[in-house]
Parts: sequence; C-alpha cells; structure tokens
Amino acid sequence: MISFRSNTRLYRALAAKAYARNIQYRGSHLLHNFASAAFGYLYACIWIGLGRDHSLGDYGTIGMLHYITFTQTSLWVASFTTMGLGIPQSVRTGQIALDLMRPVHLFAHLMAKEWGQIAYQFLYKSIPIYIVMQLALGLTPIDGGRTLPLALTALAGAAYMAICMNYMMGISALWTTESSWLYWGNQALMNLLAGFFIPLEWLPGWLQTVAWASPYPFMLYAPTQFYLGKGDPVLLLGTLAWCAALTLLCLLSTKALRHKVEVQGG
Amino acid sequence: MGTITSKTVPTVQAEREAAIEAVGLCKSFKTPVVAQGRFSGIRSLFSREHTTKEAVRDIGFTVEKGDFVGYIGPNGAGKSTTIKMLTGILHPSSGSVKLAGVDPHRDRLRCASRLGVVFGQRSQLWWDLPVKDSYDILAHMYGVEDRDKSKRLDEFAELLDLDEFWDTPVRKLSLGQRMRADIAAAMLHDPELLFLDEPTIGLDVNAKRNIRGFLKVLNEEFGKTILLTTHDMDDIEQLCRRVMVIGGGRLTYDGTVAGLRREIGLPTEIKVTYRAGYVLPRQGGDLIIAGDRQTGAHVQPNQESDRHAADSSFAMRIVSQTESTLTVEVNRQDVRTMDVLRELGQLGEIEDVEMREPDFEEIIRRAYG
Amino acid sequence: MNERRAVDRRTALRNYIKLYLILIRTSVRSRMQYRFNFAFGTLLAAIIQLSEFLMIAIVLAKFGAVRGWTMHEVGYLFAVMTLAKTLYRTFGNEVHNLERYLVEGELDQLLTKPLPILLSLLPRGFRIMFGEVIQGGIILAWSLGQMLHSGQVSWWAVPQTLFAIVTGGVVLFAIGMATATCGFWTTRISMLQNMTEDAAQTAARYPLTLYPGWMSGLLLTAIPVGLVGYVPALYILRGELGLWVFPVLAAASCLAVLLALRFWKFGISKYQSTGS
Repeated sequence: MISFRSNTRLYRALAAKAYARNIQYRGSHLLHNFASAAFGYLYACIWIGLGRDHSLGDYGTIGMLHYITFTQTSLWVASFTTMGLGIPQSVRTGQIALDLMRPVHLFAHLMAKEWGQIAYQFLYKSIPIYIVMQLALGLTPIDGGRTLPLALTALAGAAYMAICMNYMMGISALWTTESSWLYWGNQALMNLLAGFFIPLEWLPGWLQTVAWASPYPFMLYAPTQFYLGKGDPVLLLGTLAWCAALTLLCLLSTKALRHKVEVQGG
Repeated sequence: MGTITSKTVPTVQAEREAAIEAVGLCKSFKTPVVAQGRFSGIRSLFSREHTTKEAVRDIGFTVEKGDFVGYIGPNGAGKSTTIKMLTGILHPSSGSVKLAGVDPHRDRLRCASRLGVVFGQRSQLWWDLPVKDSYDILAHMYGVEDRDKSKRLDEFAELLDLDEFWDTPVRKLSLGQRMRADIAAAMLHDPELLFLDEPTIGLDVNAKRNIRGFLKVLNEEFGKTILLTTHDMDDIEQLCRRVMVIGGGRLTYDGTVAGLRREIGLPTEIKVTYRAGYVLPRQGGDLIIAGDRQTGAHVQPNQESDRHAADSSFAMRIVSQTESTLTVEVNRQDVRTMDVLRELGQLGEIEDVEMREPDFEEIIRRAYG
Repeated sequence: MNERRAVDRRTALRNYIKLYLILIRTSVRSRMQYRFNFAFGTLLAAIIQLSEFLMIAIVLAKFGAVRGWTMHEVGYLFAVMTLAKTLYRTFGNEVHNLERYLVEGELDQLLTKPLPILLSLLPRGFRIMFGEVIQGGIILAWSLGQMLHSGQVSWWAVPQTLFAIVTGGVVLFAIGMATATCGFWTTRISMLQNMTEDAAQTAARYPLTLYPGWMSGLLLTAIPVGLVGYVPALYILRGELGLWVFPVLAAASCLAVLLALRFWKFGISKYQSTGS
C-alpha cells in the first residue's frame, strides 16, 4: 500500500489536467447549460402546476422551486460523474494493468482526476444552471446566500460519495461487461431515492425506509435541505458516515481488483 | 428534360459514348478563417471571413469503355475530390462530368445504377450481420433479382474465394476479406463502371494478388471500365494500361504507364562515405555538374570534343551532406553509375557506397506535386 | 412508358419491404444469440425507464392530480410518447445518428447508390427495441386498463391510441430529421438534439397546460411534440376536441415530414456543394 500523503502535488496535477481537458470545450458546454436548464424548468413547471391546486406542505410552491433549482444544480456534482471513473474503458484497453502498477493507489489516482472534472463541472455547469434557473423562475438565493456554505459542504460530501460509487461500479467491469447498465441503474435509483424530484418525506413510508437505508438521500436531498435552511446537522453526520463506509468498500474492492489482475491476468 | 434517355438511343450509339467524360472540372472550397482566442469556437461560427482553396483546377479527360485507368497523386493534390466529382458525391464548382452520357449531378439515381464504387477505408456492408445477409439486403435495395444475384455471387465466390467467410459477421473479417466482400458487393448490380479508392491499402501480399486478379478478370473478360486510385505502384504496373497523375489540383500527366516511367526515369540516391573527407567543387548550389573540378569554371569544349562533352556532362543533385558522407541523386536512365562514382571519386577517397531507389510515391510527388 | 414505371415502382417497393423483413429477422436472430444478455439487458432497460415514470407517479399518488390530470392520464402520456419514440428510433435511428456519418464521412458512399439517400440510410439503423416496447406497453396497459375499468374510456381508445402512436412516431421522426439536417452546416448536432428531442419529448410527457403559453405554443408548432400524446389524449381520454383530431393529426404529421424532407434535400445539396 502506498502513502496517500506524499503525493499531493501529483493529485493536484491530475486534477488540474482533468480540469484543463474540459476547458477547451467550455463554449459548447455553456451553451449546453440551456438545455439542462430547460429540464429543470420543466420540472419546476410541474410543481407550479401542482402548487396551484394543492398545498405543498412545508415547502409551498416557492420552496419547491428552490428545491428543484438546487437539485438540478447539484446533479452536475453528485450525479453526472464519469462513468465508472473511466475504469471500464481502461479495462477494455488493458490500461488498467499499467495504472495498477503506478506508485499511487488507484483509488486516490482516479479520485484526483475526478475532482478536477467535478470542479470544472461545478464552475461551468452547476453555477450557470443555478443562475439561469433563478432568473427564469424569478427567485433569489435563499437567505441572501447564507445557507450556501453548509449546503456546498454537504454537496462536497455527496461528490465524494459519487466518486466512491462510480469507482466500485467501474471495478465491476472486470467481472462483467454490463457495467454501463450498473451506471444507468444507479441513475434510476438516484431518481427515486435521492429526492431528485420529490422531497423524501413525501414518499410512501416503505420507500422512505428503503431510501434512508441507502446513501442516496445524502447525495441530493441532504444538500438541498441545507440550502433551504431546513437541514438538521445530523444529516452531515450521516454524510460523513457514508463517506467513511464507502471509502472502506472502495479500498476493499481495490484489493479484490488487484488480486484478480495479478492472479488471473485480468 | 429533353435529354436523350438510354431507352430511346440505339445501343450502338450508347456504346460509342465514353465511359467517363470530364471537361474543365474545377472545385474550390471556402473555409472560414478560424478565430483565435476566447470563445473561438462560437466566433468562428459567426465570422464572415473566408479563405478559398482551389482543390481541383480545370481537369479534363476521357475514359473509354473497357479502359483500366490508374489515378495517382500525392495526398492533398485533389485526387479524392476528383473522384467525388466523378461519382456524383460532390458538385463541381464549374465544368461537367458525364458517365456514359449521363450527368451524375443532374441524374444521380440513373448514374448510380450503372456505377460501382469501393472506398478503401469504408465498408458498405452491415457491420453486425453475416456477409451473405448483407448481400441479400443490398440485392433487395438495388432491385437485383434473386436469379442474377445468385449467378453473380457464384462467379465472384470462385474468383474472390467468398465461401471462406460467407457466414462470418463483417466485423470479424480481416481487412483483406472485408475488401474482397466489399468489391463483390459493389459489383452485385452489375455496373459497367467501377471506381476503386485505394482498395489494396493495408493488405497483405496474398490479398492484394487475389484482388488484382479479380479486377483483371472484370476488365479483360467482363469488359468493365475501371478507374483505380492507389498509392501502390504495383497496382498500376500490373493492372493499368493508362495512368493519370494529379498534382496541385491539375492533371500533370495522362498517358501510358511506360511513358510515365520513361519521363521520370530511374532516380537513384547514391550515398558515398569518404575515408578522409571530401571537397565540393566551388560552384555552390545543390548541383554538382560533371566536368567542373578545382577551378569551378565551366570547361569550354572545342569543336571536336563538343559531342563528347555533351554526352558525358551530367548533373548530380546533392541530397544531403555530413562531414564524411555525401548523398547525391542521379537519373540512371541518363547516366551510368560508373560515371557518377568516377566523378564522386575525384572529390575524395571513397571508402563505401550505398544506393537507394526512392519511393515511387516520393518521385511522383516531387515531379508532379 | 408510364405503366412500365409504375410496375418498376411496385417491384421496388416490394423489394424494399422484403429488405426490412430480412432486417427484422436478423435483428431478432442476433439478439437471440446472446440470450442471457438479451433478457437481462431488456429487463434492465425496461426497469430503468420505468423509474422515470415512477417518479411522477409517486408525486401524483400523493397529490391526486396535476392541473386536473390524474396519474393514469399522465401515465398514458408517458406511454404514448415512449412508444412513438420507439417507433421513430426503430426505423429512423440513423437520422438520429447522422452526426457519426458526417464526422466519419460515411455519407459519401450512400451518394453513390441508386436510391434516395434517406432510403439507403435508414435500413442501416434498424433494430427492434424490445426493452422500450415492453416498458411502454406495460405503462399503457396499466393506464388504459384502469381507465377502461373506471369507464373513462371505451374500447375505441385502443385503436385510436395506436393511431396516435403511429402519427406521433412520424412527427418525432420529422423533428429528428430536421434536427439532423442542421448537421450539414454544423456537423455536431448532439446539443441541438438534446433540446429538440430529449428536452421536448420529456416536456410532452406531461400535460402542456403546465407550461407558460409561449412554451406550449412552441411545443405544438415549431417542435410539435405536443401532437404526439397531449392532443390525442385530449380527445381520447377527456372527450375534448372531436373526432376530427385524427385526420388533423394525420395531416399534421404528413406536413411535418414533407417540410423536414424539403429541408433535408436542401441540406444534401449543400453537402454536395461544399463537401465535408
């Protein structure tokens, strides 16, 4: 096992490279944000429609609009991460063997790259989408933006969790060719269990139980709750706990991966 | 439209029409000037500045029925642009093309039914399906009757050895197999005219031989007209009776293969290693002219030795020099190797000699590019 | 002479249909080869897409209706859109994938074939989308079944819905073709497709009354996805409009395709003038 600490410069470089790779496309990405914002706007319209005929509980229509705005913003950080962190691709080309030989732990290596990607997406996708949706829906940041620091902290945790989950999904590529199905399945579960479209407390009871047994609520729901100023600090503990648990799982699965590659030649 | 269709013209006249008739073909492209700096991608989309590139300038030629013509030239000289204009893919900026009297740009569908095209790097077959399924599908698409299809495929199967991979999905074929399958597919609807764009590229010797044999049969036994572009001079030597060379957008040679060889001669590079250095005649430039030594002055032949001097004077082009070696290029059709070595031997003491014939491609590019 | 041409056309059509029969047969056969993969993949695809609907279903289960549209009615909109899209992507997939042809220059060889480019292009992308058919079918059966049971619709709804799915597929194909044609100028079209296909189709899965006027107008005219599910549903499920809806839908879808074809031909001639 390799030390994680002494390689900070390497990690920074990896992240920077991933970031830089995207920068050249920022023009088209910025344009693309309008398409993404369109989706958010659609969902917002549904809630506006619902809000006209029903009382929307704790949130009210405006609250739900804020909710949708923030979940849409968060998607680019907590959900749209590189599929399997690029591992399936690297398994196909055989690059994985080289990556495992490096004096850096595979997990740290790929995570550093992904942080660069996430940083880019945050700056060039999340923030513009946030601004566009606020403008389109006539909103202003909650509490003048004071809830943002806490929300973004929770979001960072969510990003970390997304990295871990993609890492494990990517590693599965060594045992099955259907890792892309896992990715889409993950997205589907996110739709349902992460509070993507509907606050979790409005899910039927049994579904809520299922959701809270998984890490998903901490990826979209928790950060959004903090943004809305409704967040219970307990949620942060939950995020932390899941981060730790997932990290452990990632390290274990790396061992399994290494074993398979070294013993069976991949 | 008032044009004479092949249904009303008696066959005799149709046969007298040239297979390909190109007149004054020109093609220029306008490319937008790429903006630099911030948001260059978007700005380029809206920019009004254009540069015009003339890819093909005034190309004209006639290919008769039954000809086998090679079409060569360096990359970027306008080869593929010409082919695209001949086959109806690209509209010429000016000039006209007629294939058996029909304009592929006015009457694309009618031309296409008489045309077979094979692109070296792309396949027209269905990637995931066995080869035989592709043929079935293509036959239905282009209205080839089952009877004709079976008959033709039987003929081709023998010549191209299609049975080897009849049931194999196209994506599993080797390059040579895929090329054979593609050529058969192009001939499925029995076109009179066949265009091949680099069909032998990347193939091994056997595959090349097989394909060349097939093309020869198509031309000599079935009377098909074939236009072939290639970078492999063996294709030209073995198959074509006529070759056209394109360079810088213009047709720079149109004649027999033998004639081409004669024109470009036998350029050879001779590399000489000197034991203890050498001294170049002081004339400068990159030519060494035989007959000039220490003085560098041009020796004036007197009346009698005039003929002699003319016969024995020649020029060698300096290709490269190092401290102890000198590489020159000569045309061995004009001068004997011994004469060259004698000249070079006068510049210093020769220790070693190497000879190399440069790539035909390279020669073409230099001579006509 | 004209008679001969008519006969030629008929044989050509018959041949073209035989071509698709071969494609159907091979599509099923090649899927069957990977039996486990096939079943697993189909099931997973169906489940994943079902989750999209589950999301809204949960909301509507809690609130009852959105602007007067119940869970089953919205489910109907979902299913019709899914099935129409499946129809479009089964036959017209290569139009959706045109970007690849433009980038790799594969369009050239189609221009050397004795067939209109579209007809040469489309068979290449044909494959049966089992997962999507299953998913759409399930939701449709569930929603229509419930509405039949409650008496909201009669059995006429079934053939009417199938008709709507067909015209809907044609409309989506027209939109897809028009979007793809832009590729002749811009080469990259995936972003445009994101808006005219993905976003628009998602929007039309919900009743258009939810959206501001300019948007619902847009979704009925320029990008007429509203004609796929919403307009038929107004008649079939709610008895609004009238029986004239169906000939209008047929006419509208034909018009859309004709306009898109015109644009496509224009794009092809531009492609032939300026190359790739």
